[in-house]
Amino acid sequence: MASVLRLLRAQARRDRWQLLAWIAGIGLLGLAIAGATASQFGSEAGRAAIVAVAAGSPAFLFLRGVPDGYDAGAFVFFNGFSFTAVLTGLMSTFLVVRHSRADEESGRAELVGAAPVPRSAPLAATLLLGLLANLLLAAAVALGYLAGGLPAGGSGLAGLAVGSVGLFFVGAAALVAQLMPSGHAANGTAAALVGLAYLVRGTGDAFGTPDATLSRVEPAWPSWFSPIGWGQLTRPFTEADPVPLLVLVGVAVLLAAVVLPVRGRRDLGASLLAERAGRPAAGFGGRSLLGLAWRLQRSTLAGWAVAAAVLGLLSGALGPVLADAVAGNPSLAELIARLAGGSAPAIADVFIAALLGITGVLAAAAGVQAVLRLRAEEEAGRLELLLALPRSRPRWFGAGLSVAAFSVLAVTLAAGLAAGTASLFADAPAAGPLTGTAAGGPDSADRFWLLVASALAHLPAALVMVALAALAFAALPRLAVALGWGPLVLALVLGQFGGLLNLPEWAQDLSPFHHSSAMPVEDFAAAPALTMLAAVVVLALAATFMLRHRDLGA
Amino acid sequence: MVGQAAVVEASGLVKSFGRTRALDGLDLSVAEGEVHGFLGPNGAGKSTTLRVLLGLIRPTAGGVRVLGRDPWTEPVAVHRDIAYVPGDVNLWPNLTGGEVVDLLTGLRGGADAGLRERLLAEFELDPARKVRTYSKGNRQKVALVAAFARRARLYLLDEPSAGLDPLMDAVFRAQIRRVRDEGSTVLISSHILSEVEQLCSAVTIIRAGRAVESGSLEALRHLRRTHFRVTFTDPGAAVLPAGVHDARRENGTVEFDADASQLPGVLAQLARPDVASVEAAPPSLESLFLRHYGGGDR
Repeated sequence: MASVLRLLRAQARRDRWQLLAWIAGIGLLGLAIAGATASQFGSEAGRAAIVAVAAGSPAFLFLRGVPDGYDAGAFVFFNGFSFTAVLTGLMSTFLVVRHSRADEESGRAELVGAAPVPRSAPLAATLLLGLLANLLLAAAVALGYLAGGLPAGGSGLAGLAVGSVGLFFVGAAALVAQLMPSGHAANGTAAALVGLAYLVRGTGDAFGTPDATLSRVEPAWPSWFSPIGWGQLTRPFTEADPVPLLVLVGVAVLLAAVVLPVRGRRDLGASLLAERAGRPAAGFGGRSLLGLAWRLQRSTLAGWAVAAAVLGLLSGALGPVLADAVAGNPSLAELIARLAGGSAPAIADVFIAALLGITGVLAAAAGVQAVLRLRAEEEAGRLELLLALPRSRPRWFGAGLSVAAFSVLAVTLAAGLAAGTASLFADAPAAGPLTGTAAGGPDSADRFWLLVASALAHLPAALVMVALAALAFAALPRLAVALGWGPLVLALVLGQFGGLLNLPEWAQDLSPFHHSSAMPVEDFAAAPALTMLAAVVVLALAATFMLRHRDLGA
Repeated sequence: MVGQAAVVEASGLVKSFGRTRALDGLDLSVAEGEVHGFLGPNGAGKSTTLRVLLGLIRPTAGGVRVLGRDPWTEPVAVHRDIAYVPGDVNLWPNLTGGEVVDLLTGLRGGADAGLRERLLAEFELDPARKVRTYSKGNRQKVALVAAFARRARLYLLDEPSAGLDPLMDAVFRAQIRRVRDEGSTVLISSHILSEVEQLCSAVTIIRAGRAVESGSLEALRHLRRTHFRVTFTDPGAAVLPAGVHDARRENGTVEFDADASQLPGVLAQLARPDVASVEAAPPSLESLFLRHYGGGDR
């Protein structure tokens, strides 16, 4: 036990800043949502309007979760829980894989394993670290809600709900780490499990049954197969029930009880799934920098593209459904007309524009990740190997940036094609001022291309984010990761919660996405798009110049 | 090597990283066709020098020419004739060894197919395995195969035999001899003295970012003292030649070091009937090395 505690201390020290950032960030997000709800939706009537819209809309249910009445706390929980739970799941899985399979792959585990400690001691320490991190996180979320003016009991239970989901994923990631041959594969699989939990819950929630007053929704059975769905069942601010959390914690304990003996008995580095052999010689494109850049990015790009395509499908398929639901409910239609202001745009289009906006951020994330891979190549010393060859830095950089730009294009295109295809199969939208597209709307082929164009409208803004990351890599390589992801997270928060947080216009203007045309609601505006593309070219040229004139190294 | 063109010519190289001075006025000259050992302990600035020679980092001060060009302003032209093996070989974990070899040689213009197969066989490397599953030694071998599978005018090798077993080390040395016989120039950084002694015809020793000794191995040996151990038949008759260094006397045996210039005199003095045995050890690179690092006799 002493060795476990010693290892725990070492692991905690290694992670201290990283975990602190995750925990503080998630806690602050809770505070922001709670605070915004208090200031903007202080009255029950205001909350009731939003809840009614959400309860009647499968897409809202899919994205956010099921509403649980008009109570302020329940409103915050409904708005933030799914998102918070996903972040917590990612924090937990990355934490576990970092200290288990990734360490085994890098050889650090061998070093520790040679010390007089039981074979399973490092994993036991990691599980404890996961427990501690999630307890701290639960406290941070609870404090955020409390500071946002919510009742103590509900805030505490809501925090524990988030922490319990995290604990579940600590156990799940520990199991995945035993099965997968590499840290990369383990991280990908574990993160995919988190995404799957969100999607399964979303599906169950989307097919849930709303009550007569549209104040709450009973999720359908799929939600019972998702840990995030279980966490949601706790209903901390209304009919508080800690039993689902006990189930989550129980599963986590069970997983730990399985995983620790497995690690104790298996060989160091052994895994259920083995690394396959590959080709003994380079294939097509295997002898060029562009081919290498593509090779390194393609699998992660596929992940981003699939995520964007799912969102696109949802927007295309559910938009008309939502419009019909609103059309069948005159009081709701009136409500939305009031909320949306004078010129009521088509409900379906508002919804599609919002989802495609998120796919724009996903596209930027894919591109930023491709750019930051360049930094990883430099840090690992592989860049040195390449640039000792007769290829110039601009050429290598150009190959990387091309793949990054292509990633952005591929993700937005995937979203647009999926949305367009789904719209072909969805019921033709009913004509009318509030529903479907504008009266006498375009035929389905036009609609298809309109949705593809709507997704592509976010291309310039996404490219700006990528170009900023490129400049950060060239000018301040040590800060590239923070400068690459930071603005993107900021843009996502501004986009998702900017209206909710009631931020001033200039702050929202900081996000390039705020300058994208929100098609199909708005018309495409060429001027801001061209300005942004010009900025992309200038930023990329500046980055190339700066990279040419700096030292390379770790 | 006077009269031959210098393939690598660096003078007064300075490289500062913040407050640390990794290179502090380094001079280095490598002549065409020689195998040049670049000796120094960890942290002396060997890898930094090689990165400057490749134009990966820019020297804070000083001039450098590689193959007649400035590597910072013309890296691509310089690299066309260079094969490089880094000191810390990091490869793409999801590529196979064969794919890495083809990538690295492909960017230089393509491997010699026959050479590639022969090298893979000699280094006993399975090209279908993912880099992730290779040991450190195997990763090193991938980098070596990639470097040797296409001819180059200059080979820059940063501690190339680290992680190789003795059999693979022999394969590596055979490759060095091959490229030397083909007329290529090799610069090997190392802290393994025996390796440099076996492979190299010239040596530069660096310490704290500065070259403290440079020249042909022969010339350097002349700078060093020969170690003598002389046993006399009659302990009472044991005498020390005049002017020698580090003399020790034990019963009828004396040990001492003699400068090259003293050798005729020492030998003359030892030409006596009561000398039972004389052992003379040639100056080793190790003693050369220790002189600069060990803080021994200066």
